[in-house]
Amino acid sequence: MGKRSFTTMTMFILLAVMTLTAHAVSAVAADRAIIVKGSTTVLPVIQVAAEIFMDKNPEANISVQGGGSGVGIASLLDKTTDIATSSRKIKPEEIEKAKASGINVNEIPIAIDGIAVIVHPVNTVKAMTRTQIREIYTGKITDWSQLGGRKGKIVVVTRDTSSGTFEAFEALALNKEKVRPDALSSASNQAVAQTVAQTPGAVGYVGHGYLTPRVKAVAVDGVQCTKQAIQSEKYPLSRYLYVYTNGRPSGDVQRFINFILSKEGQRLVEEEGFVDILK
Amino acid sequence: MSAMKIQRKALVTLKEGAYKWLFATLAFASLVFLVGIVFTLLTESLPVFSKIRPTSFLFGPFWYPTADPPEMGIWPLITASFAVTAGAMVVCVPIGVGTALFIHELAGRRQRAFLKPVIEILAGIPSIVYGFFGMVVVAPILQDLLGIPTGLCAFTASLVLGIMATPTVASLAEDALSFVPRSFREASLALGANRWQTLTRVVMPAAGSGISTAVILGMGRAVGETMTVLMVAGGAAMVPKSLFDPVRPMTSTIAAEMGEAVMGSLHYNALFAIGLMLFLITLGVNIIAEIISRRFRLKLGLGR
Amino acid sequence: MAPETKICAQHIDFFYGRTRALKDISLDIYANRVTALIGPSGCGKSTFIRLINRMNDLIPGTRVEGKIIMDGLDINHPRTDVVDLRRRVGMVFQKPNPFPKSIYENMSYGLRINGMKDRNFIEQRVVSALKKAALYDDVKDRLHESALMLSGGQQQRLCIARCLVVEPEVILFDEPCASLDPISTRKIEELILELKKDYTIVIVTHNMQQAARVSDYTAFMYMGELVEYDLTEKIFTVPKERMTEEYLSGKFG
Repeated sequence: MGKRSFTTMTMFILLAVMTLTAHAVSAVAADRAIIVKGSTTVLPVIQVAAEIFMDKNPEANISVQGGGSGVGIASLLDKTTDIATSSRKIKPEEIEKAKASGINVNEIPIAIDGIAVIVHPVNTVKAMTRTQIREIYTGKITDWSQLGGRKGKIVVVTRDTSSGTFEAFEALALNKEKVRPDALSSASNQAVAQTVAQTPGAVGYVGHGYLTPRVKAVAVDGVQCTKQAIQSEKYPLSRYLYVYTNGRPSGDVQRFINFILSKEGQRLVEEEGFVDILK
Repeated sequence: MSAMKIQRKALVTLKEGAYKWLFATLAFASLVFLVGIVFTLLTESLPVFSKIRPTSFLFGPFWYPTADPPEMGIWPLITASFAVTAGAMVVCVPIGVGTALFIHELAGRRQRAFLKPVIEILAGIPSIVYGFFGMVVVAPILQDLLGIPTGLCAFTASLVLGIMATPTVASLAEDALSFVPRSFREASLALGANRWQTLTRVVMPAAGSGISTAVILGMGRAVGETMTVLMVAGGAAMVPKSLFDPVRPMTSTIAAEMGEAVMGSLHYNALFAIGLMLFLITLGVNIIAEIISRRFRLKLGLGR
Repeated sequence: MAPETKICAQHIDFFYGRTRALKDISLDIYANRVTALIGPSGCGKSTFIRLINRMNDLIPGTRVEGKIIMDGLDINHPRTDVVDLRRRVGMVFQKPNPFPKSIYENMSYGLRINGMKDRNFIEQRVVSALKKAALYDDVKDRLHESALMLSGGQQQRLCIARCLVVEPEVILFDEPCASLDPISTRKIEELILELKKDYTIVIVTHNMQQAARVSDYTAFMYMGELVEYDLTEKIFTVPKERMTEEYLSGKFG
């Protein structure tokens, strides 16, 4: 009995030592890892780019995390990330905060995203103006017949108010007016697309990269949501996607960002459904 | 020889002492966590009330946390949580209690051997899977079946949550039934009662408060569930006028917005205040369950 | 005067799955007599009396062979009305098992499940059964209090009274004093002697002195077999079998 309990005790100690060692090892590894954190819109591009970059540079170690644009920028401010990704421009108050904590925010646009306004494929409405979009989302237009479609209640689908996509949509389409309180609210681009795809009366908005054949994008102010239109800045609901660093990047961080901006990197941007910034 | 014995004895005493400390520390760790959670909830949520009156926070009809100026009334979120939970109860209480009764009273050995693992598997399915199932399968079906504009609404959320809470209710109610001593059943049958009479007049009343505890804990599960409601409730921050309106319960609000709220902002603090509300609600639910189950044990003479 | 046979067991075999728990038991139980079943634990005595009101039906995977006849009724016949049988054959268990209800509700239960609704009639029966069980004076002022407030001995007498309410013909006692103190035990024994005027009684007991004190007939069972069955005084003074003698003198058991 005594012997066995002694063995158990030893096991405990061993376990504790092993855990500590593991921590130490991961701490060493973390020294070399580049952390990229932020917008879920930008995430797929960074993910693919990081994989290819690491294949080419075996000594580099990049850890990609989501969390949203706000989280990314907040992490840059508290120095827990090397690169913040964002689907919106950094806010003035965030820049102020950065200055306060001695961080020199460096902004680099890496892609353009068009926000597509989507409806169910059976919907006969093919185009909307920005005013109409605003009136749908604020509750002034409630029936498809008001837009020349078949009679039926409009089911408004929006994103959670703190997502980067919402902020961009709010800025580009809503004039900062409030979305009607009974709008369905989804936590991701995919969830919006899914909801619109299975709801004949629905209208929603997603990043251009999340367009699927199961939903239909409408023309906004007479412009179709296409790559060319977004690139030439004719499509009204478009926005730049950014990465932010603390000061001018150097070392692997710089090389990684350069890779994204290279021809090869911008091809990845396109493959993920965004629009490249090479004009 | 005897010196060695004494030494050994001292070692044993030392070891026993060490064990006692080790396990006491582990046991108190959970207390430390609880205190830490309560402390965090309080310190992070109280700043809200310096900017917004508690009454307008609790009873305000609009939730626009990122608007300028923000509106932070969580009444729509509270009513949504209650509506969805009540709906879930309507689903899970009859099914859960019925299942427990069937397994305990009527099922043969084979049916029991089949049903119990099925219920356990149901309990083990991650909530996100329920959410996905609700969103992709249940919502479109209900939308077509009931002719409602969207299937993502309080009704669907209730249904899916109800199915989720069913295993909790069923297995706890079954425990309550099996806690009823066999002697009660035998006494009743020996007096010439049939199975149905024994069940309704002796077993059910004796297990009654145990079954209520099961129901209340099932309710606790439904109130606190996050992922599923996030995916199927629709997420509209509006006091529901009917069961078929989309709603935004407290849990899914926290889950959807916490990731994007700027640390230390009013919005961030408000989300913690919602968390505090949830904590108080579940605490209340658990206290009630505890009181009832204590009464139950006294009634059956099982002691505390 | 030769006593009248109330229950006649003929070549009873009983199986728990493949285990043969009773082996070819035949014995007669006489009306208005107390018959005691004694023997070491696991000898089958409880199994045997639970056959008389078919309580073993509740245990899945059991099987009985042979016949038990009570006043011409074949107890194990599939068409025998078990509910009626159990009304005629009451049972008192090892541990007092009142329902977690009031004393009155415990007492009226047997009548209510049989569809009795006449309140005066129920009350009359309850009071008379409580009196017969010598419990009425103890509880008359608190009939609506929980039965679980009573002492162990009182609870056991309540259980006896509870089965008297439906006016059975036979009462089976399965070690009724196993969990009681000596004073409560003596009260139960006195009650049994009193009850045999009106009822046929079968009692399973571990306590040989108890068997000697209360019973008219004693059956000694061992390993599922009936070793010896005779008048109690004969069993205790001049047992025919050596095994009986050894058991009674405490050589095993």
